[in-house]
Amino acid sequence: MNKSKKKGIVGIILTIIILILLVIVTNTDIAKVSYVENIVSTLVMPVQNGLTYLKNKIEGNNSFFENVDALKAENDELKKKNSELEQTLREYEIVKSENDTLKEYVNLKDKYKQYKTIPAYVINKDVGNYSNTVVINVGEKDGIKENMTVIAQEGLVGHVISTTESTAKVQTIVDTATAVTGTISTTKDAIIIQGTLESDKILNATYIPTDASILQGDSVETSGIGGIYPKGIHIGTIKEIINTNNIIDRYATVETAVDFSKLATVLVILNTN
Amino acid sequence: MKKVITIICLLIAFFIIYFLQANFFTWFTIAGVKPNLFIVLVLFMGLFAGKKIGAVLGLIFGFYLDLVIGRTIGISGIMLGIIGLLGEYFDKNFSKDSRFTIMLMVMGSTILYEFATYMFNVFRLDMTLEIYSFIKILMIEVVYNLIVVIIIYPLFQKAGYAIENTFKTKNVLTRYF
Repeated sequence: MNKSKKKGIVGIILTIIILILLVIVTNTDIAKVSYVENIVSTLVMPVQNGLTYLKNKIEGNNSFFENVDALKAENDELKKKNSELEQTLREYEIVKSENDTLKEYVNLKDKYKQYKTIPAYVINKDVGNYSNTVVINVGEKDGIKENMTVIAQEGLVGHVISTTESTAKVQTIVDTATAVTGTISTTKDAIIIQGTLESDKILNATYIPTDASILQGDSVETSGIGGIYPKGIHIGTIKEIINTNNIIDRYATVETAVDFSKLATVLVILNTN
Repeated sequence: MKKVITIICLLIAFFIIYFLQANFFTWFTIAGVKPNLFIVLVLFMGLFAGKKIGAVLGLIFGFYLDLVIGRTIGISGIMLGIIGLLGEYFDKNFSKDSRFTIMLMVMGSTILYEFATYMFNVFRLDMTLEIYSFIKILMIEVVYNLIVVIIIYPLFQKAGYAIENTFKTKNVLTRYF
């Protein structure tokens, strides 16, 4: 009896240790443990290099490879040149669009100032895995109404879906049930941005126009269409463009500017005019 | 009197779990996925306190969750109520003395609850169905719930039988008076 009890306690302790390890391992950023990768590659690389050299020597294909190497080098150089040209073209395009948008940016900044905002704290977060709503500590008595826009210092957070006397429920943009119309700030192409189950940092951008030139790192902001969100609020940046067989189906992932896992203080926009 | 105290204890347990879910488990996650301890609590109530307590408290807890943080009202309440009812069904057909059967029950309830609420929300809120992501999250959630059950099993048993004594013995005795 005593023995089995002891066994049970050991089992429970072991399970707790496994749980803690699981939590740590699954939440650690790979970039943070790159030194482990470094150590492994320093150990493996010399051996790998030596083996490759030996293999080439034995096969007696050194001269052939030299030729291939020369072609490869030339190819690389051309590729590099091409990408440089592309880069220059892109820079030119950016400068051109900057000319158009700079004034608008200044206007938007002024517009941001014009917004009457009220600060609030996040007092409650979602308890489930499939939705992403938060509760903030301002409500009807502070003038909060449904559909008001909520922002943080870095960008768009979401909109108010219901209110009580002293609290308001906010549906965040990473919630799977929300869709925001956005524009790519450089090219002004309109896209639809939706939350995904995959992550609370990533949004999916769909309905990308077929002629839109969309690039990694492009900034995305609200378009003002739809009536809830005012125009020009930063949403995030394009992280990856996923091309499919059909160009109509292509979509992109957008990394949110706001870190929703650390969201603590927000601003509610009281007037959008 | 004892029953009232037990129900108050269950309510306190609910609020403790609620605060754990809303705070501690928002960062203590497995690959970003939280467990769902409400399912474990309601199943526990159904198993040991009977279907009436399980279903009614499950309904109340679910509606409370929907009101406080949910996007739609009702589905969590209904599903937690059903799990409370299921508890009694499990009690009649399976043994509560084995950790393994309890784990299977928790697994089944978690899958049932999350599948039903997700599907309801997909249709109700016109969301895009993300089957792959959903199954991935659900699997991790089930594993997390099972790990929690393994850890709290002794407490589960002890508290469970204490509750069973307050709620079920009286019914048997009345037959003889």
